[in-house]
Amino acid sequence: MLEKAKVSFFLAGRSITRGNKGITIFTIFVLTLIFVQLVLFSSMLAGVTLKFNELMVDYQTGNVVIEPEEEQRYIEDASALQKKIESLPRVIGTTARLKTSGNFRYKEKEMGGTVYGIDPTDESFVTAIEDAIISGEFLSRPDRGEIILGREVSGGFGALMESRSLGGVEVGDTVELTIEGKTREFRVKGIYTTRYFMADASAYINRADLEEMLGVENQDLAQEIAVRTTAGTDEYETRMALLSLGVRENIRTWHEFAGILRLIENTLGLIRNIMNAIGLLIAFVIIFVVIYVNIVNKKRQIGVQKAIGIEQNVIVASFVLQAMLYAGTGVILGYCFMRFGLVPYTVAHPVDIPLGTMSLKLDDAEAINRAVLLFLASIVGSVIPAYKLAQKDLLELIWDK
Amino acid sequence: MENERENERENERENERENERENERENESKIQKNDIIIEGMDIVRTFRMGEVQVRALRGVSVNIRRGEFVAIMGPSGSGKTTLLNQLGILDTPNSGKVVIDGTDTSTLPEKEKGKFRLHNLGYVFQDYALLPELSAAENVYLSLMMQGKSKAEYESAAAEILTAVGLGDRLAQLPSKMSGGQQQRVSIARALAHSPIILFADEPCANLDSETSKEVLDLFKKFNTEYGQTIVMVTHEEWHAAYTDRVIKLKDGMLEQ
Repeated sequence: MLEKAKVSFFLAGRSITRGNKGITIFTIFVLTLIFVQLVLFSSMLAGVTLKFNELMVDYQTGNVVIEPEEEQRYIEDASALQKKIESLPRVIGTTARLKTSGNFRYKEKEMGGTVYGIDPTDESFVTAIEDAIISGEFLSRPDRGEIILGREVSGGFGALMESRSLGGVEVGDTVELTIEGKTREFRVKGIYTTRYFMADASAYINRADLEEMLGVENQDLAQEIAVRTTAGTDEYETRMALLSLGVRENIRTWHEFAGILRLIENTLGLIRNIMNAIGLLIAFVIIFVVIYVNIVNKKRQIGVQKAIGIEQNVIVASFVLQAMLYAGTGVILGYCFMRFGLVPYTVAHPVDIPLGTMSLKLDDAEAINRAVLLFLASIVGSVIPAYKLAQKDLLELIWDK
Repeated sequence: MENERENERENERENERENERENERENESKIQKNDIIIEGMDIVRTFRMGEVQVRALRGVSVNIRRGEFVAIMGPSGSGKTTLLNQLGILDTPNSGKVVIDGTDTSTLPEKEKGKFRLHNLGYVFQDYALLPELSAAENVYLSLMMQGKSKAEYESAAAEILTAVGLGDRLAQLPSKMSGGQQQRVSIARALAHSPIILFADEPCANLDSETSKEVLDLFKKFNTEYGQTIVMVTHEEWHAAYTDRVIKLKDGMLEQ
């Protein structure tokens, strides 16, 4: 058994080191590309998912959101609850928000959107809206009658749904906001974009202004409290900590708000699987063709090997080993290209996508999975032609009879 | 006087012992020469070429003795190579059988035939049939590796046999860097490396000039006479026959009477 393996390795090794270098390089190059193609889409998807998650956490929900108890419209004693939550060691900050839908009007144009009533200082501890300002300034605590618009509301600044927007509001302009039948004018203090169209279709005003419009002044009410925790804190642990603090309100992690994003992610996942299957099929066909051409050229040599007593399975194994070595080298080169080339490059130079900027994220488990699949394809793609030819009659192989 | 008689008697006894030893050697040689190593019985081989059946061998029976150097000769299409392939179990006859050293090869399954060839037979092909990616030594020791010999064993055996065929200084050379005659000598070394009981050669000089052909035939003769190597060789050159002990003549797939 050992001597057979030894002969297979010997023949495969000599064939690679002394065979046609051009064919070897071409085969490895093609397999490298196939591996890159197999992991690239996964990496892109992982990068997009990561971006989705960052957008959710950074611009909308924080890590955890506390909502009113069942059948309650508001969280009562919001500032007391905020203090209580902020006493947890891993909590960076909390922001109590009022949230409602409103109607914006600017000149002849109108549109609906979500309006948040916030404490600007608290908000800055939880979300990065302040950093997302592209024109004007963010709100400050004493500001009244001022509003921050997302670019999908203001229009301009590369808004994706320009026609639906107010059509080009600029900082300093006045917009009318109608909430529950009450209309008030607000001066636009700033315009922001997170590059995530859902988050950009909102507006922020001072919490006191919204309290006034909703008729709930000085009652310390909130419709949600967003909580920001230190990086790496598990959201479910935070939820448990909040429960043990005696928080009776509804506690939801950001994952629970990512419904549509999960839908997009799952759709992309399906496309990824289809592309993987096609990629593997291409890999299989290429390996099959390369090995087939290789062994058809070596038909007589196979005949001679059989004639001098080299066993058929030893000959087949030598071709399979070659294919495995090609696949292995392709996987290693492809992995190195991704890990040390393309991924760090996109981290340093993120790619612009409609959602914002995206970097590739290489998942090692996925890469191993693709490597194994490519290996299997190379084994099957080499066994079939090698076995078919090695099984032929000796005379047919040597003299084509 | 007594001493002289004693010496004479001693010399007579010595002569008698020498004669006895000589007779024993002759008998041994006779037994050896009469020991049939290949027995081909009523071999029929038919090939299908499109719609036509070609009867390449029409019931050929041959016996080859151990240590013999036999040539198979005949005109083109007479079935020389086909007969060599049957005797060398590279092919299986449609009927008849080939017994080699007591083993009926017609009953062996393909895998066993492969093993039998690996351990007992050696082949020299017309176009050398060396593996181009292997060096001279590697070509020679491949079958020894397959037999499970150790690295030291197969490397020294390859070096020894390549030296014996005059290529001791070209062990690491690839076939593409060698002349036709050198390649054929590597091929002979490969065929003999595992000390086969029979060496089959199919027109080994067909691609060589007469000078190189002579060198190759001299090599065959050397292994035949010095080591008692049984050799079966197909050739169509009359002068090659001079090197052999016997010629089997074929015509139209049958032995020529």
